[in-house]
Amino acid sequence: MLGSFAVLRKQSLLGDAISHAALPGIAIAFLITGAKDSNTLLLGALVSGLIGTFWIRGIVTKTHLKSDTALGLILSLFFGFGMLLLTFIQKQPNANQAGLDKYLFGQAATLVESDVWLMAIVTGICLIIMLTFWKEFKILLFDADYTKTLGFNTKTIDILITSFIVLAIVLGLQTVGVVLMSAMLLAPAAAARQWTNKLSAMVFLAALFGAFSGVFGTAISASQNNLSTGPVIVLVAAVFVIVSFVFSPSRGLLFKQIRFIKNRRDLELHKTLAFMHNIAATHEDISHPHAIIILNNFQGYTKGTLQKLVDKGYVELQGNMWSLTEKGFETASNLYNQQNENDE
Amino acid sequence: MMSSAQFEIQLIASLVAVACAIPGTFLVLRKMAMISDAISHSILPGIVIGFFITHDLNSPLLILLAALTGIITVILVEYIQKTGLVKEDTAIGLVFPALFSIGVIMIAKNANDVHLDVDAVLLGELAFAPFDRLLIGGTDVGPKSLWIVGTILLITITLLFTFFKELKVSTFDKGLAASLGFSPAIIHYGLMSVSSVTTVGAFDAVGAILVVALMIAPAAAAYLLTTDLKKMLGLSIGFGIFSAILGYWVAHWLDASISGSITSVLGLVFLLVYLFAPTKGIIAVMYREKQQRREVSLITFLLHLKNHDEISERHVKHLNEHINWQKVRSKSVLDLAQKNNMITIDNNIVSLTEKGDEFTSKAIDYIITNEDAQIEDMKDDFFLFRG
Repeated sequence: MLGSFAVLRKQSLLGDAISHAALPGIAIAFLITGAKDSNTLLLGALVSGLIGTFWIRGIVTKTHLKSDTALGLILSLFFGFGMLLLTFIQKQPNANQAGLDKYLFGQAATLVESDVWLMAIVTGICLIIMLTFWKEFKILLFDADYTKTLGFNTKTIDILITSFIVLAIVLGLQTVGVVLMSAMLLAPAAAARQWTNKLSAMVFLAALFGAFSGVFGTAISASQNNLSTGPVIVLVAAVFVIVSFVFSPSRGLLFKQIRFIKNRRDLELHKTLAFMHNIAATHEDISHPHAIIILNNFQGYTKGTLQKLVDKGYVELQGNMWSLTEKGFETASNLYNQQNENDE
Repeated sequence: MMSSAQFEIQLIASLVAVACAIPGTFLVLRKMAMISDAISHSILPGIVIGFFITHDLNSPLLILLAALTGIITVILVEYIQKTGLVKEDTAIGLVFPALFSIGVIMIAKNANDVHLDVDAVLLGELAFAPFDRLLIGGTDVGPKSLWIVGTILLITITLLFTFFKELKVSTFDKGLAASLGFSPAIIHYGLMSVSSVTTVGAFDAVGAILVVALMIAPAAAAYLLTTDLKKMLGLSIGFGIFSAILGYWVAHWLDASISGSITSVLGLVFLLVYLFAPTKGIIAVMYREKQQRREVSLITFLLHLKNHDEISERHVKHLNEHINWQKVRSKSVLDLAQKNNMITIDNNIVSLTEKGDEFTSKAIDYIITNEDAQIEDMKDDFFLFRG
């Protein structure tokens, strides 16, 4: 759901960066408390995720480095630091340390009931906040300057959205793991984007796709041995994306190709008609018949196009001869005029 | 005294650092830093397939296949981007998790009993690198990964020297490169191939994450310090080697993961540069912003003086109220103006000097024409002390 905002804000890879950046937070939280209580660990992850996010912001706004560099930098540096801490922890004489690395790759099966409740509650809060601030989010998304002039505090809204994205990522970490979290965030949103131009519909669809891939993925991975849940969920989501890319009615590749071919046919038809018009115009009688053979030298002429012109009533065929009808002549002479008018 | 294993680890780490810094510099300049992250993840299926065929983690075929997957990633990302359905970053974010998932599933399905787990791929373990020796005719010629990384580095350096001009031109001016007759596409894919190969060659020594860090962090730090491509390359190589060696000793001291600690040192280096770089660092930028704010205030103040001849309007106290500045701020502006000989204060009445008057007239010109360069030159002409 929140992924929609990330995709539309061109911050897609933020998810990836945050999920990596959360690692040192988990490790530090563990170092401080010494316990493997999932709530404190999540808090740590949240804090370090936020620090990472705002540092990325700082790098992008204050220096000349581009956002991709900032993202890659924070991602790898935080993750490396997290690894350092994790290996450091592993050397500590603390029996509790085992299992910290499950956060890395995630394992939905390790979730206990309290985790699920926590997730449900947070999702609920996200939903409520999103509905409350719907208008603000939307306007900030599409026209930040306008929002500012309307007197909204764009910074607060921005921080709010970002915090929720971070929160969602941190929660998701446990389920699908660091590497695949970004896909969970992006894939449903990217798929949903193909089906609609409306934000509300997109968010709804993204949630739907996300839920479906979650359910299907878990089902598939449960049906077979040795399949971890996270990757399967991601692959299911990827299938959704591919299907959406290809089959979506207005933006999909398939329909785009069909439209493309159709346009080309139309153009060929027009070309043939215009060519016929040129020939016919040299005669006083427009319906004076001409041999089909003279059309053969003309590119874009096929039997098919000729037949089509006949079907439309622009051309009449008599044996090997063709002649323009009244209607055909009219259309042909207006063909380019109309286009000019349309252009203007 | 260093043992030979310790020396070898540091040597490998430094070589990897150099091998990464070179393509990394260009990736950062070409705004493709995230591609390296994507490659480092998506080479996993390539490695897995290669491993099934050869059953040897160090075989050249493995590197070739993995590099191929890396290039496939790049092509896929570009294809998705070209359809115009989603933005580039989304395309990257979609492609590599999918490929990575395929890799993870392949490992889980088929390779449970062999030594190849996700942790090793992602994190690597430099500490074991010296124990994997390369034997030629029964004699020990050094660790295998040293040879692999060394070869890759050699190839990279050769390519760098051969195509330096082409790389430089195509990085900074694609149009010019195309018009001069080198195909930007070939250079692009060449660079991508080198990055893939480097990533793969380095991954089993240092892990995928460290490869990304070694590619981006030194280059980003160097980018903040210089605007010269050659210097940037040199600096990022220097940062890379420094972090590799220092990181090794930190890891030795903490008894923790070497790759993690190298990355942390890199992070520290970048943080220091980020804060203290002379012209592009945060502190310098903030200082400059403050200076500019004060200089703008100064100009506002001088304009006010020029517009008002009345004594009452030129009283120090009145200025405080009129332009609505805090005491400290007006004092600092007054001081600055006085230091630069632009005003004189007589009995708390401020008046413009001749120089101040001239400066103000020019400033008005600037405000009307609004040419950026002019005001900086002008400031250089008039200011003895900057804000």
